[in-house]
Amino acid sequence: MAWTPLLFSGGLAFMLFSLFMAVPFGEPLMRVGGMIQQTDGELGAANLVTAVVLGYRALDTLGELAILFAASTSVGLILTGVKQRTVSVECEELGELFEQASTLLLPLLIMVGFYIITHGHLTPGGGFQGGVIIAVALFLPTLAGRGAALLNHRLIQQVEGGAGALFILLGVAALLQGESFLQPWLPVGEIGALFSAGTLPLLYLAVGIKVGAELAALLTHLSTNVPSPEVPR
Amino acid sequence: MTLAIILYTGAIGLLVIGLAGVVMSSHLFRMLLGLVIAEAGANLLLILAGYRWGGAAPIWQAGQFPTTMVDPVPQAMVLTAIVIGVGVQALAIALLIRHRHYSGTLQRTGGLNQLQADLDREAGVRHTRSSDAPTLNPLTEVEHVH
Amino acid sequence: MSTEWLPLVVALPLLVAFLLQPLAHWLGVRAERPSPVLYGLSLMTIAATLWITLQLGSDVIAQPLSVTMGGFNTPVGINLYLDGLAYLLLLATQLALLLLWPAGAAVRTHVLLLVLAASSMGLALSGDLFNLYVFYELLAVATFGLIAASPGRAAPLVSFRYLLLSGMGSVLALSGIALIYSHSGSLNLADLSMLAASGEGSLPIAAFLLILVGFGVKAELFAVNSWVPEVYSVTSSRFAALLAGVVSKLAVVMIVRILLLLFPQPEATDPLLLLGILGLVSGELAAWRANDFRRMLAYSSIGQLGMIFIAFSLSLELGLFAGLALSFHHMVVKPGLFLLLQQPLSRWRVVLLILFALSLVGVPPLPGFWAKLALLTGLVEVGGWLNGVAAVTFLVATVVEAGYLFRIVQRYYQEERPIAGSTSSTVAAVESPWGWEGGVALMLGGVLLAVTLTINPVTEQLQQIALQSGDRERLISTITVSEVE
Repeated sequence: MAWTPLLFSGGLAFMLFSLFMAVPFGEPLMRVGGMIQQTDGELGAANLVTAVVLGYRALDTLGELAILFAASTSVGLILTGVKQRTVSVECEELGELFEQASTLLLPLLIMVGFYIITHGHLTPGGGFQGGVIIAVALFLPTLAGRGAALLNHRLIQQVEGGAGALFILLGVAALLQGESFLQPWLPVGEIGALFSAGTLPLLYLAVGIKVGAELAALLTHLSTNVPSPEVPR
Repeated sequence: MTLAIILYTGAIGLLVIGLAGVVMSSHLFRMLLGLVIAEAGANLLLILAGYRWGGAAPIWQAGQFPTTMVDPVPQAMVLTAIVIGVGVQALAIALLIRHRHYSGTLQRTGGLNQLQADLDREAGVRHTRSSDAPTLNPLTEVEHVH
Repeated sequence: MSTEWLPLVVALPLLVAFLLQPLAHWLGVRAERPSPVLYGLSLMTIAATLWITLQLGSDVIAQPLSVTMGGFNTPVGINLYLDGLAYLLLLATQLALLLLWPAGAAVRTHVLLLVLAASSMGLALSGDLFNLYVFYELLAVATFGLIAASPGRAAPLVSFRYLLLSGMGSVLALSGIALIYSHSGSLNLADLSMLAASGEGSLPIAAFLLILVGFGVKAELFAVNSWVPEVYSVTSSRFAALLAGVVSKLAVVMIVRILLLLFPQPEATDPLLLLGILGLVSGELAAWRANDFRRMLAYSSIGQLGMIFIAFSLSLELGLFAGLALSFHHMVVKPGLFLLLQQPLSRWRVVLLILFALSLVGVPPLPGFWAKLALLTGLVEVGGWLNGVAAVTFLVATVVEAGYLFRIVQRYYQEERPIAGSTSSTVAAVESPWGWEGGVALMLGGVLLAVTLTINPVTEQLQQIALQSGDRERLISTITVSEVE
């Protein structure tokens, strides 16, 4: 039993605990949060978290998108170029139930995913959450053993690149109109309506499509390009 | 007060258990899982900074924003942090797949020696673990052209 | 050009990165193969960012620039801050990328390098704590991918180990950010600086420790730098030069900015000093013991960065100046060494090697001497026993550096005939072709000589930049004034 790491972990835990308990819990200073509350929905988004993610801190979201993109590209770089047999995920016969259910669920999942993406500015949710649902939906056929027939890698790469470019171009469009980069520009509309909050739903749509395509490609890559080990064990 | 203790114990516990797991594991995938747990703990810590007693979700309801709402900024931060974590974890799994392809195993023991041996071999240096004088000779080493 | 165009320095490489693979398909090139057209496009993108930087930053030492994103005022929004230091870092990054970009690499490598470019520039510019974290992670992910793309069996494992270490650091840094947010309610550096300066709003130093260890992974800080020799051994010379030269400096400057702005307490610099000394000692001694030049340079890098941390821990303008001087000097010399030692030595290469070695060790009148003198003067001036230990260590380390660098030269001159490559070993005076790497090393040597000749104006400019970086009130007033416009 390695006592040293445990001792260090205990010490670290104690230090962090005392640090965080020194701050009164449940009474946040709300310095920036208070300012956002006072804007009283100037961005038109009913969901303030979306207003923060896509409006006030849109540069963070751009960085986040880029991280997922870089990870996906790296996976492509790492897992191709090795001559191997493509072995699909070895699932035993998952049974009629799974195959039928996945066929039924696929359109439902995609619909739910798009609903969450497009309503990101109204209710909790948004591009990332909805994108993950769509990615899982697109991954289901692979799980069911029907292979990656549903996913044309070329198309996915173009969708991925195009959606990411759309996000940046929406920001540059604001710049070309003489305002700031990533400033929301379309008319704000009425809070709570579906077509409100200017460019925010469009940004989330781009994000959702990009994340969905990307993660689907990633999952498929990870599951179908498993190389057989070079060294016999 | 007790709620704070429970919540912070949970978050910090996850963080520390994850870090300890990375250090103490002997299998590469379990080290990755330790990292995943630690990231979950860190995200929890971030979210806890925004909680407000009696605060409602910061969403427009019934014609107005709630008067006491939880802080929306940590939520946005955690959204970003979770996605970052997912990207890094996917990349790590791909690296593990490729590594297993090369070395046939994901056990950590012996991996370090093998790594040093590989690096030495590629540098054209004799692999040695003794503490004799270094034998630096850049004249006979030709780097692989990349 | 409107200052609002500054974010394009970050957004443009990302845009091209997103579109590069679809473009490749459109041109009929597979993503794993090289493509001269897309290589040219990538270079043009970096050149475009260089042009934007030059346009916007020409007067920046006198008048720093703050651009808010999306038109939202700080501290609600994020701002980009361009001062003299950021300007220099941007230029250095862009030039390094232009010179060291691999021409024959696969399209996917170009994509990852563009992402690296965007994240480096964002890291140099950002004025928001969490935004810095995001760009730091972006830089890390791009680096993981590029390391894993290196040839050799060891590359995936090396990248994975780096990923784990970096991940653990990020987790700690995120906890530090959570702590800072709990204490202050804000994430903007200028805002936090204002809060920290007022008496009761000071931030816990523990948060700085967490951030130091977390972000120190990239800065090759003492305890978290086990990745350095492995990564530098595995990657290509150009990428090693890029990492050692540019990426580590960006991380160091980021940490120093956070230290200067958020933690004015005098005790905050102690961990920096301590870890710097430990890094210096461990790095230089390990370099002495290294068996191949890659690892020697890697450990030497650790040692140099330890020295840089010691410099930044002095809370004087002299400390800032010494740190910046050492950083930029290292940024010229270390990539030069990496590129030079890639090929076997011959007569003129040894001359260049001697030049770099002399400057690194600190022989007058080369720039290295002035930088090290500034550090020594600062250590002596501040006084105190730990600084005294640092000064002694620093002098001993210089001797060790001279030892292992000139050992190479000694061995070269001991052999009668230079052995050029593996094929022709008979011809005495034939130079192996210098190649692109050699050319860049030669140019860096030229820069070193040029700085030697113009040392006075360069020192003056650097002192002004150091003064500006340490000037908290100036930064706060610049950033908060820009809201009014």
